[in-house]
Amino acid sequence: MSSVSSGMIGRSTGDRIVLALTIGMAIVMMAPIAWVVALSLKDNKELMTDMNSVFHAPYTIQNYINILATSSVFRWILNSVIVSGVLTILTLVLSSLAGYGFARLNFPFRNALFVLVLLGLAVPEQAVLIARHQLFSWLKFHNTYHGLILPGLAAPFGVFLMTQYFRAIPRELDEAALLDNASRFKIFWKVLLPLTLPAQATLGIFTFLSSWNDYFWPLISGTKKEMYTLTIGIASTQTNFAQSEGLGFLMSQAVFAGAPILILYLFFQKYIVTAVSGAAVR
Amino acid sequence: MTAHIEILNVSKRYGALTVLDGLSLSIKANEFMVFLGPSGCGKSTLLRMIAGLESVDEGTISINGQRIDTLPPGKRDIAMVFQSYALYPHMTVADNMAFGLRNINMPADVISARVAEAARMLEITHLLERKPGQLSGGQRQRVAIGRAIVKEPKAFLFDEPLSNLDAALRVRTRVELAQLRNRVRSTMVFVTHDQIEAMTLADRIVVMNNRKIEQIGTPMEIYSQPASRFVATFVGSPTMNFLRVSLSNQNGFARATLPDGTELQTSIPLESIDGSEHSIGIRAEAIKRANGAAATTTGKVDVVERLGDRTLLYTRLREGSIIVAEDIGNSRVAIGDEIALSLDGMRAHLFDSSGRAWHNQEASHG
Repeated sequence: MSSVSSGMIGRSTGDRIVLALTIGMAIVMMAPIAWVVALSLKDNKELMTDMNSVFHAPYTIQNYINILATSSVFRWILNSVIVSGVLTILTLVLSSLAGYGFARLNFPFRNALFVLVLLGLAVPEQAVLIARHQLFSWLKFHNTYHGLILPGLAAPFGVFLMTQYFRAIPRELDEAALLDNASRFKIFWKVLLPLTLPAQATLGIFTFLSSWNDYFWPLISGTKKEMYTLTIGIASTQTNFAQSEGLGFLMSQAVFAGAPILILYLFFQKYIVTAVSGAAVR
Repeated sequence: MTAHIEILNVSKRYGALTVLDGLSLSIKANEFMVFLGPSGCGKSTLLRMIAGLESVDEGTISINGQRIDTLPPGKRDIAMVFQSYALYPHMTVADNMAFGLRNINMPADVISARVAEAARMLEITHLLERKPGQLSGGQRQRVAIGRAIVKEPKAFLFDEPLSNLDAALRVRTRVELAQLRNRVRSTMVFVTHDQIEAMTLADRIVVMNNRKIEQIGTPMEIYSQPASRFVATFVGSPTMNFLRVSLSNQNGFARATLPDGTELQTSIPLESIDGSEHSIGIRAEAIKRANGAAATTTGKVDVVERLGDRTLLYTRLREGSIIVAEDIGNSRVAIGDEIALSLDGMRAHLFDSSGRAWHNQEASHG
């Protein structure tokens, strides 16, 4: 193989500049994460006296041992897993059904209803927060899992995404399945839905991430410590224990909170990149 | 079991737009019927109405005497091959073929046997575990046909199934379809805008234009006795030559005088012809290069098209109109040459201004 096609030899000056900028951007992005991880591996008292100690040994995992031994992090993680997991599954089910309906079924006021759904994208959460809080308070939904999950189910973006995806699937597939004696539900379930898996993955990942990282509604709805999600739980430790328990411990909790998302990203990296680049192209 | 399809006074409208208007047609059992026409003539709509993918606004469609236009597509016992093949991308070839049979709860061993037999017939056995995305266009085409065959339907419907293939593969697949037709004795309805596909595959051709049927006939009837100027223009390559003529009586038969004064004798009874303005239609194969007394007119060659077995000469006549004549494959005629031509009036057709046609008696009896 020619050496021109490999390594830096064949690269143009423009490519090199882009590469250098990319590496620079990656460093800028990665530096805070590395900083957090490094701090989490340091003894709290050592950090109190000398911040520069983060750059040299000794390192310790004592902060992580303290998390496992003492705090409510596991309960908060469980809460986050339940809320984000159930919300993601229900969003996928509802968005797929609604998307199929808008894309394939003829019913009165279909276009008007679709516009109404899209308008939901324009309404900020803050605008409906007080009304929702009062409603949930009246229904006694606060400090329950369904209280944390239900507001996220109104997912106009999911309906829009799935509608567009179903619309892009050729109608000949429906027609071929009709001639193959398939019922409408079977066409949805066996023929069309499997073809929307990339969109389902995209929507599922984004829903899970946004729910996992959500701060605003869980702060209002989950007021008891045992109903905190991870984001609220971590924030509560910052308020109450940051000074006494130390920076290292705080950072270890941040790492602990971010780890599941990182693992999720590693597993679904391909779909996330495709989703983001696809959105950019469109 | 094969299907005798009866279409009676069928109309289709999309809002104010009429796509088919009171159309009637009978397709015999085991017949290979081709719907031929330009884009937008309604041929695909008619096919989709037989399939049940479009509703029938007026009229009825029956198979073997039983009305089917009120049945859902899956209950009509017909199979369709789509232009885009419409294979299920996430299923293997075997699953694509078996899907319809599973939906009617056919026993698994019968499904396997049918899929294996169809795969063997279409030589796609080695592809059964692949997915459509791993197949070439020709292979997908075979799978689509296989999916239709395994259902053992009363009738097969083909919606321009060759139009997505490249030229060489289209010819090969066309031949294979003709062979398949001999093995699978069933009624077949085939939609195309390609006259060669229609001529080579059909038992009968339905030529459609502008929402209605122009002519129904065997390929040679359509070619040699076109019912209208549209049919004469649409079928045959190169397109039939048309020249304005005036008619006179020669022993009761029409004698046509071309704009350059050339006279052509026909065997068309003059009294059968009505209308005031007439054109003569004559195919390139009835216009040959000629010498001496055989020549009926002369012209100057504008374009020479060498097709190998014959040469087409686009010739400008004295009065300015251009006609296409035919010469032998290794013709020495060059652009700009003055050539003499012999026009065979006995192989010509006459048309009036509305497009209605009259044929020579020899052609009518041929």
